[in-house]
Amino acid sequence: MAALGTQTKVTKVVAKMAGCSWFLVLGSVFLCNLFKTLLPSIFSFLSKVLQKDAEHERHMRAEIQEMKKEHNSVSMMDEFARYARLERKINKMTDKLKTHVKSRTAQQAKMKWVVNIIFYILQAALMISLIWKYYADPVTVIPNKWISPLEWLVAFPSGVAGGVGITCWLVVCNKVVSIGLYSIS
Amino acid sequence: MESPDDTTQKTSEEKSGLSSAQRRAEIRRRKLLMNSEDRMKRIVGFTKSESENNGASSRVTEPRFHLDLDRIEPWSASSPRLSPFLPEAVGSSHPHSSVPERTGSPLGDCSKVLGGGVVEDVTPGVRQRPRGEAQLAAEDPSHSASPRGGLQKYLSRFDDAMKLRGQLANEKQAQDAASSDTEELDSFRLFRLVGSVLLAIFVRVFVCKYLSIFAPFLTLELAYMGLYKYFPKVEKKTHTTVLTAALLLSGIPAEVINRSMDTYRKMGDVFADLCVYFFTFILSHEVLLLVGSEETESL
Repeated sequence: MAALGTQTKVTKVVAKMAGCSWFLVLGSVFLCNLFKTLLPSIFSFLSKVLQKDAEHERHMRAEIQEMKKEHNSVSMMDEFARYARLERKINKMTDKLKTHVKSRTAQQAKMKWVVNIIFYILQAALMISLIWKYYADPVTVIPNKWISPLEWLVAFPSGVAGGVGITCWLVVCNKVVSIGLYSIS
Repeated sequence: MESPDDTTQKTSEEKSGLSSAQRRAEIRRRKLLMNSEDRMKRIVGFTKSESENNGASSRVTEPRFHLDLDRIEPWSASSPRLSPFLPEAVGSSHPHSSVPERTGSPLGDCSKVLGGGVVEDVTPGVRQRPRGEAQLAAEDPSHSASPRGGLQKYLSRFDDAMKLRGQLANEKQAQDAASSDTEELDSFRLFRLVGSVLLAIFVRVFVCKYLSIFAPFLTLELAYMGLYKYFPKVEKKTHTTVLTAALLLSGIPAEVINRSMDTYRKMGDVFADLCVYFFTFILSHEVLLLVGSEETESL
């Protein structure tokens, strides 16, 4: 009797979980949109971790600042040679810094592009897998007359009378989650 | 001492001398203008016959691109480009005009230009203007400079394209900085969303057994259309996107684009309301089912 009761409970839980497919789709859409919102911070974290030239760049900037201070303190009339030498050094260092910054920016843009591509591929894979799983089954079922006269559109592609199809539910969840996340952020 | 008769005679001679000098200057200017038109034709590659046909037949004003999409006045009411000589031909009462006025001037016959018929050759060197061209000049003074107008049109389009490109680049930078592709949540929009949520819950609890859930939604949208005027209007900044730039450059007036974008925005608002309404309905339905099943289990 106890085993029978436990089995009944497990069956009920499984039935509930099967009936919560709408929640699974909603959760997936929410995670995707959340990840998309957090992409810029993820990207900045990755760039800090992967690009270790920031120290070198800071050192160059500090050096240029010091040379500029010295350059301002030197009189052009009295010590022209030293003035010109300093100016040449500053220009050389500035050009080096510019090249360095350019390459770093190009690397960052490339990294951003790669991260975006990976995200969109993962999102597309998730959506396709959800559609594949729930192609024939509706995510939830409600009485047919509640959603007339659009029951055929809401039920697409499952075709079950009164059912809510995966495409309709995906679109609705996407819109609601994006509005919600935008209002929160 | 000069007699009054002598002074009046002198002034009339001076006046006729002035007017003849002005006339000669006017003739020289027109010759120069004609030459410049020929030069433009050769540069642009228009043939004379094509330009005459275009000048005589086409009466549509050239479309002007409005980079400022907030401009409300219709594009057809754009100010025409006047050539410095045409207003004189229209018969203005400008005191220094070389074209004579209608009353009592030596060139009074020129007023017959606008009356219709062939222009009489009043002075040597003045170009005979055919009737159609004269009428067009009377109605649309910018039309007589059509070859130059064609080049100007090309140049203005090129300038507009460059400016739109700059605007697009700025908009893209601003969007990257802001990183938001949804519209702002103003008070009316927030009111709509909250109203949709509340109505969905109400419909699930009380109404759905009796009729379709979309009927109350439609009623709600109609109510929103009426309530819109009671909310403060928010100035929506028009973003220059690639699509709007392409539409502008293809000649579609900015007013039409603005109206289409406005309609599209309103449809988007209705769609968002529908999504929120349906989502809340399904969610409340599932919650009620869960609560109901738990109650039956506990019983």
